Amino acid sequence: MSFKRKFQTFLLVLSVMLGMIAAQNTIFANEPFDELPTLELEKDELKFGFIKLTDCAPLVIAKEKGFFEDEGLQVDVTAQPNWKQLLDNVINGELDGAHMLSGQPLAATIGFGTKAHIVTAYTMDLNGNGITVSNDVWDSMVEADPSLDSPTPPHPISAESLKTVVQDKLDSGEKLQMGMVFPVSTHNYEIRYWLATAGIHPGMYTSQDIKGFSDAQVELSVTPPPQMPSTMESGTISGYCVGEPWNQKAVSMGIGVPVTTNYDIWKNNPEKVFGVTKKWADENPNTHIAVIKALIRAGKWLDETADDGSLKNREEACRILSQSNYVGADFEVLKNSMTGFFYFQKSDRRSMPEFNVFFKHDCTYPWYSDGVWFLTQMRRWGQITESKPASWYDETVKKVYLPAVYLNAAKRLLAEGKIAKTDVPWDTDGYKPPTKDFIDGIEYDGRKPIEYINSHTIGNKD
Amino acid sequence: MPSQEPKADSIKYGLLKFIDITGFKVFDPVVRLCFGEEPQKQLGQIGRFMIVPVIFVFCCMMLWAYVAPRHKTKSGEVPDPTQVWGALVVNDTLHKRENEKEADFLLTGEARTKKIAEVETLLKAKEAEAKTLKETIPEIAASVQSDIDASLAPVQKKYDELKATHKQEVDARKEKIKALAQSVANNEASNEQLIALLREDSVAKKEARETQKAIKEQIAAINDNPPKVLKNTQLQYSSIENEVQHLKKRLDYLNSGNRGQKVEKAEQAVVSAQEKLDAAEEPAAILAAAKSVVKGKEKVERITSQKYPRRATIWFQVWRSLFTVFIGFVLAAAIAIPVGIMCGLNKVVMACLTPLISVFKPVSPVVWLLIFQIVVGAFFPNPETHPLFVFASSLPWIGGLKVNPAMVYSACTVAMCAVWPALVNTALGVSSIDQDHLNVAKVLKLGLWARLTKIIIPSSLPLIFAGLRISLGVGWMVLIAAEALSSSDGLGKYVWDEYQNGSSQTFANIIFACFVVGIIGFFLDRIMIILQRSVSFGDGAATV
Repeated sequence: MSFKRKFQTFLLVLSVMLGMIAAQNTIFANEPFDELPTLELEKDELKFGFIKLTDCAPLVIAKEKGFFEDEGLQVDVTAQPNWKQLLDNVINGELDGAHMLSGQPLAATIGFGTKAHIVTAYTMDLNGNGITVSNDVWDSMVEADPSLDSPTPPHPISAESLKTVVQDKLDSGEKLQMGMVFPVSTHNYEIRYWLATAGIHPGMYTSQDIKGFSDAQVELSVTPPPQMPSTMESGTISGYCVGEPWNQKAVSMGIGVPVTTNYDIWKNNPEKVFGVTKKWADENPNTHIAVIKALIRAGKWLDETADDGSLKNREEACRILSQSNYVGADFEVLKNSMTGFFYFQKSDRRSMPEFNVFFKHDCTYPWYSDGVWFLTQMRRWGQITESKPASWYDETVKKVYLPAVYLNAAKRLLAEGKIAKTDVPWDTDGYKPPTKDFIDGIEYDGRKPIEYINSHTIGNKD
Repeated sequence: MPSQEPKADSIKYGLLKFIDITGFKVFDPVVRLCFGEEPQKQLGQIGRFMIVPVIFVFCCMMLWAYVAPRHKTKSGEVPDPTQVWGALVVNDTLHKRENEKEADFLLTGEARTKKIAEVETLLKAKEAEAKTLKETIPEIAASVQSDIDASLAPVQKKYDELKATHKQEVDARKEKIKALAQSVANNEASNEQLIALLREDSVAKKEARETQKAIKEQIAAINDNPPKVLKNTQLQYSSIENEVQHLKKRLDYLNSGNRGQKVEKAEQAVVSAQEKLDAAEEPAAILAAAKSVVKGKEKVERITSQKYPRRATIWFQVWRSLFTVFIGFVLAAAIAIPVGIMCGLNKVVMACLTPLISVFKPVSPVVWLLIFQIVVGAFFPNPETHPLFVFASSLPWIGGLKVNPAMVYSACTVAMCAVWPALVNTALGVSSIDQDHLNVAKVLKLGLWARLTKIIIPSSLPLIFAGLRISLGVGWMVLIAAEALSSSDGLGKYVWDEYQNGSSQTFANIIFACFVVGIIGFFLDRIMIILQRSVSFGDGAATV
């Protein structure tokens, strides 16, 4: 085995090196920048969908700051009522593309939920989610862990202190109800991760149980993001995991307390992607590249920093997002997380400079390892019902993530002088180095999905 | 002058007839008073039927204005009438801004340069205003914070003290319990005593928790209700910043985003491509250059026909909703009237259709929407190139309303729910025709067509229109729900989007939309009344 493994690694390294040389030749040596063939757009009037969340920013900014216009595209971006409708509208051709949950293209492609081949060449952002619990649950958590009884409790807050609440509920014959936004959303996997780390079972999906309630100690149900605060206020759920501004909204309404953000659960985790159907990508390859070009510029614009290190364009971005046809929430609420602050309680304002990352850390590149993580979570929680070999993960993610399109767009932007050479990981094989930046410190290596799945206590094992 | 009298009379009776037909009978005494007819009586009428209701409505408004700010919810305050009026102003401003941008997009030549200068000076003024206001915000925020801290400090202190004493008490009780347990073990005290003590302890703990909670709520209340100065200044600043942004966007549309400018740029590209073509010598180069000329020309054409991408404003949503409800209503009428006539004429047809009508009539519009979403969606696999939508978008007025599958299934849902009242009323109208009339038709040996057009339809028209009037009302109500659910542009989507935005303006906008929907519904109903009256003999229909 070891010889074979070594040989494989050798081949891999060799091919990567060859690839690098080839890439260097094509990108930097033989072909002068201005000689790239101009893009002949197949389609120049496009319609994109989004959900009212701050992380739709790259799409909105690319439109409002004229980056789409620069590519000769006339783009209309329209709000969608929920993730299911958004996906359906992309599939039925009503929309050309959309702001999607990272899990959506993968799940659609492997046929969990609506089946359709969706691809992505652009990751829209990192982080940006939080878990909020209702005031009652927070009071019980404080009671269970007196160290939380302070205007500024120590972070990260684990789900340990939630255990008594869960147990009390179970004793009275009920299950604690919490909300997440979609079965294959980052939020679902994050809140499950957070609960499971503390030994609370969030429930498994099985072929019969598509709601994911099997063995659950806490039941997680789907609620569209904008309805989260009011659903919690009405008592249907006692907590939720959602993107911004809906955690800050709970604070400003005074109905709940954000206990943790996904930055604490997994530092710099991938969040949303820009998804289109495979059919659309095949029919409009040049338009696709032009769209990605505009989006890369939008991402870069959003993360531009002033000399003192502050994010200089974010305030303007919030101003744009607060328009009622985009996110529409109050400017003051949007501003919190977008300009690097987060209110955990009204008395607890913390600096979180990387709460929303749109460009740093090679964020926009469609990493295979990100896709594999989502697939491992689908397997862990039973959305993928049968055991798959490691090669399947690699093949599936390569069907969905299209770094070639991204690199083509980036190459053009570099030639036009719109981005710097250091902005893009030109010669990666698509897998990030292994990381232990999780709340429980378990190592994740995208090349070893099976080992990763098996390293967790709660959940399926292969 | 005698000749004047009849003329004035004819004007008077004309007016009276008009207000009678349109159903505004309340204005009847006003008209009569103007013509000097029994002033005493008319004034009495006006007092009772106009002034009293106006006062009543005014009182309702006052009650609203009084109650609204006192009814606190966690999602924000209930807006009072002035805030709702403010929502109207804001929405109208948004609409006007779109108009301005559209005009800028299309502006060319001298007018454009003039406009640029104008907008730039305006922008500078607004930016200065925003800057001064921005500088005051931190000061206000600091003073507000110190106010909050000042009022918070004693409560917080009380809370901390209370917590400390509670902790002492808990510790003391713990010691006591421990001691008692020891004495129980030594047989110096009974089990019952220990149990009683434990009970006491748990009761005391609960009490302590309650008192702590009460103080915590006080703290939260102080935090939740900061002085309004800060928020108002922030809102003011926000609105100026929005204006600044709008002006910047206008400059964009006047400069690089301007259609004329874009066309010019594209034409220049064609010219340079042409030059390249003329200079090229090798066949491959010639071909390439010629290709780029063609592409360039195509681009020029495309840009020339470009339209300003309007954002959906409230008035656009109103027009789109009206159009959708009109389509749905026409569909409903087109089905209901013929089927209703058949039902009325033939008992067998009626018997056949009764089960269908009775089962489908009570079904909720939401269910119909979901069904139509699936069924109708299948007809338009590729909406952008579908001939129906291509045709609709080429029409002059309707083209701007963005006809799409969502509109089709919203209209179908409206039709499905609006069809029943019209159908049932038509059937009733036809079946209740005076038997004498039908006998006359028999005697005259009228054919089916003549019988329909001469007797059946005319005599059942009042009831048919009464049914249609109910149908339109139902359709309008259903449409708002259908649009909200299917996110098809229109007033329903406006309300739903506002709800989803969850901004401080949300509540006011929703109530504003409520009035818009209500007022439009009222006018639709009036139109139907006029139609109904104009086909009825005698008294016609009630006006309320």
